[in-house]
Amino acid sequence: MIKLQNVEKVYRTSSVETLALNNINLTVNKGEFVSIMGPSGCGKSTLLNIMGLLDEPSQGHIEIDGRRVESYQDQKLARLRNEKLGFIFQSFHLINDLSVLDNVEIPLLYRNTSAKERRELAREALEKVGLSNRMKHFPKQLSGGQKQRVAIARAIVGRPEIILADEPTGNLDSVMGNEILAILQKLNADGATIIMVTHDDSMARQTHRLIRLFDGTQVQ
Amino acid sequence: MILNYIKIAWKVLLRHPFYTFITLFGISITLTVLMVVTSFMDHLLGVHYPEGNRDRSLFVTSVVQKDTTRSSRSSSPMSVRFIQTYLKTMQTPERVGMTSMFTFANAYVNGKRIKLFTKYTDADFWRVCTFEFLDGKPFAEQQIKTGDQVVVITDDFQKQYFEDDGKTVIGREVEIEGLRYRVIGVVKGSPATRPYSYADVYFPYTVPKSNYERGNMRGNFIAILMAKDKSELTTMQSEFQQAMSRIPQSGTEYGSKYTNFTIKAEGYADQYMTSFFGDDDSRRVFFFTAVAIILLMFMGLPALNLVNVNVGRMMERASEIGVRKAFGAPAKTLLYQFIVENIFITFIGGSLALVFSFVIIQLINNSGWIAYADLAINPTVFLVSLAVCFLFGLLSGVLPAFRMSKLKIVDALKS
Amino acid sequence: MLRHFFTLIWNKRKTHALLIVEIWASFLVLFGVLTFLLSNLRNYREPIGFSYEQVWSMELTNNQDTTDVPAKVESILRRIRAYPEVESASRMSSNTPFTMNNMNNSVSYQNASTLAEFYRTDESLYRTLDITMQKGRWFGPQDRSARYTPLVINQKLQEKLFPGENPIGKTIKKDDTHFWKVVGVVETFKGKGEYMNNTPAIFEPLTEKDWDMSILIKTRPGTDATFEANLVKDVLAMVRNWGAEVTYLTESRKTQHNLTLVPVIIFGIISTFLLINVGLGLFGVLNLNIARRRGEIGLRRAMGATERSISLQFLGEIWVLASFSILLGLLFAVQFPLLHVFDMDAGIYLLAMAVAVVVIYLIVTLCAWYPSRQASLIAPAVALHED
Repeated sequence: MIKLQNVEKVYRTSSVETLALNNINLTVNKGEFVSIMGPSGCGKSTLLNIMGLLDEPSQGHIEIDGRRVESYQDQKLARLRNEKLGFIFQSFHLINDLSVLDNVEIPLLYRNTSAKERRELAREALEKVGLSNRMKHFPKQLSGGQKQRVAIARAIVGRPEIILADEPTGNLDSVMGNEILAILQKLNADGATIIMVTHDDSMARQTHRLIRLFDGTQVQ
Repeated sequence: MILNYIKIAWKVLLRHPFYTFITLFGISITLTVLMVVTSFMDHLLGVHYPEGNRDRSLFVTSVVQKDTTRSSRSSSPMSVRFIQTYLKTMQTPERVGMTSMFTFANAYVNGKRIKLFTKYTDADFWRVCTFEFLDGKPFAEQQIKTGDQVVVITDDFQKQYFEDDGKTVIGREVEIEGLRYRVIGVVKGSPATRPYSYADVYFPYTVPKSNYERGNMRGNFIAILMAKDKSELTTMQSEFQQAMSRIPQSGTEYGSKYTNFTIKAEGYADQYMTSFFGDDDSRRVFFFTAVAIILLMFMGLPALNLVNVNVGRMMERASEIGVRKAFGAPAKTLLYQFIVENIFITFIGGSLALVFSFVIIQLINNSGWIAYADLAINPTVFLVSLAVCFLFGLLSGVLPAFRMSKLKIVDALKS
Repeated sequence: MLRHFFTLIWNKRKTHALLIVEIWASFLVLFGVLTFLLSNLRNYREPIGFSYEQVWSMELTNNQDTTDVPAKVESILRRIRAYPEVESASRMSSNTPFTMNNMNNSVSYQNASTLAEFYRTDESLYRTLDITMQKGRWFGPQDRSARYTPLVINQKLQEKLFPGENPIGKTIKKDDTHFWKVVGVVETFKGKGEYMNNTPAIFEPLTEKDWDMSILIKTRPGTDATFEANLVKDVLAMVRNWGAEVTYLTESRKTQHNLTLVPVIIFGIISTFLLINVGLGLFGVLNLNIARRRGEIGLRRAMGATERSISLQFLGEIWVLASFSILLGLLFAVQFPLLHVFDMDAGIYLLAMAVAVVVIYLIVTLCAWYPSRQASLIAPAVALHED
């Protein structure tokens, strides 16, 4: 599903050069639930960004669903993100001025979907995360766990094959965290490929495979 | 403490040069316009050369005769006869000056034409007005009585007619519309925006072509009643009312009957309004509402703009505010800081505006747009502008500041 | 997508209220200034209807002399016509071109009635001022003994009094005993200059009893002030103690134009500054807005928004905002033509509204362009991990 070959990422400022990722070779297969672990600043987020096509590697190849994407321009990349990938973030990134339903609809705005269909798909997605009773609420009225569930609904509303989760439970207590993990596991069971960055060993242990990074290098 | 506030304010301004520019632009342009406009109003309505006694004078500028049966209405200045019989005989005024209105002539010299505003005046006119004589002197009662063909001219006309040959022009003759007059005085000219004193040449009202014998009541002359003191204006007003009430309401003028007449003695600003709007109060109200709305728009838009920019800027500084609050700065202190900041920037804008207005006023004065224009930034204008500055600062500062000071620490730190 | 912008703006209406009020006020200011400007511009484009170059106007004043005034004026006119420098000269009532004087009266024909400017003049005015006839002819010697007073009207009056008819030969009632008969129609005659409204005008012949004392003199090219001085001297020699004041129509036209142009220019300058001010403010607010919404931008990019759609989103939002404000503004502006505030053509108001709408959209687009572009260039990976 996702294949990284010799991926390197270097951040340059005027005086300093930082190697964030060093020669990463990685394959994630369809239907896998992979977790990425490592200490702060080891490059896990950079890795996730590169896999999510939000950032370009300095060197190396990325293949998604059999397609080499290095040569892709903004439009094609956006299309790929929109159709193949779903994102979940530690800080939820909900838009406070939009209702839950409007938030979930966002990915569908960037493809040709009728308003009616958008409503329906968003509703379905919210049902899957158990929030169909909160559709008219605004993010400010929700708890942390609920917010993350809205974010998950938003990530799956476009039916992507891959879900990228960047410390989805980092801002939540363990009860809520487990709830979120359960939802992700269910999505995985339904066929989605999931890559999750986490700090939490116990979470990581519940996934199929664990990748450890240290100082930009893959150690496991 | 205040100094500390100002220091921080200065740093904040430097940190965001673009917003500082927007804010200063808005404030200074608005204030500049405001200052130029007030200065112009002051030029029109204030006490200035050569009408230095405006503040203790009443102006009688027109009489309105109405014929109710034929619904006709005639309005014009007064006749000399009327002024002499009813106004010159009043007790309270120190002097009653008289001058003709809207008379023109051409003079020709060396194949070029000089357009002239002319005035036919009496001797008291020179005492009511405060003309500065550069040479010679005004005409006296005696010269009026004998109908001498003498003239007082302005320095400007002297330059044009005598082409500045350096010699005194007193005693020399000017030819105006086929008649020759002897120059007896040269005055510094007055701006055209002062219709009761502005002219290029001043004749005794008894010279030919002045038409001073015309009319019973309506004619072509206005009167300026100068009181000894400002405090006597009301006494003078009531004496005027009494004098007018003794005149029969109906009569005949230029062959047509009138059934009643009205005449008013007003202060300069009042009569200025009357000359624009007549007696129609509704028009006056309409005008002032229009002006108020325009002014509100004009002041309101930049103020609104400032508020908008300020709100945004404050939000940007939310985290700074959060830190300050977290370290125990009370809401009030923060409010002060914002207000000081805003007043500070408004005053910088105000000083810029002062410079701009000064430049613009100089430009107007030197452009020849109004001859003898004497617009100036006078203390009143400056104080008014300063007050407006202050209002601006409060207006654009308080609302965002209030919003900010209510911001919760957690929210402020988070964003 | 548009609906999405609406939802966004609507949900943030409290934050945007001030911005909306600001754009609304700008729209109204613009509408007012444009109405003023456009009405003058439209007037300016209509021909003035006569030529004024080389034409002088002489104002006579009889002062104390009241004997035989009309005859004296006639003899002065004859004297003026005799000069070789003079091409043509005509007597006219005091409302000569470009002066402040007016002579309004109402005229009616059958059921139609209108206010018209009356010009009393002689048989040669059309030559002195080069007025082109549209129909019929100017009044001449053949009319002197006619039963009805001959009359020349302008096109505008024809439209008002004789819509769809040929006015030549029609009679207009003056009072119970007198009638006028239309003998000619001129195209336009805008006596107060190019910026004046094209209003109805009537030319009627002077009679021997009329005291009208303005004389229009068309001089040959190259005539200068030396002749003018002689002319005045000669005229004043004929009538002692009269006054004679000469002005060039080109000069008085300039004065008349300044009366219109000075306020237009002042208002123009002030409102330009106002709009620049508003534009800068808008620019600042949008810039700050975008800085505040970096997270959202990153998220949208992650969800599949292209750079272009981010740009479009910010432009779209400001357009929606501007549309709200303009709609509010139009509600106010539309009252002017509906209630006939000021005597102005509805067309001018509508045009002013249209132009104001375009200008406002232009300004907001211009102000949003750069910030929107900046927004689209925000790197999503960075924006998403800022907090």
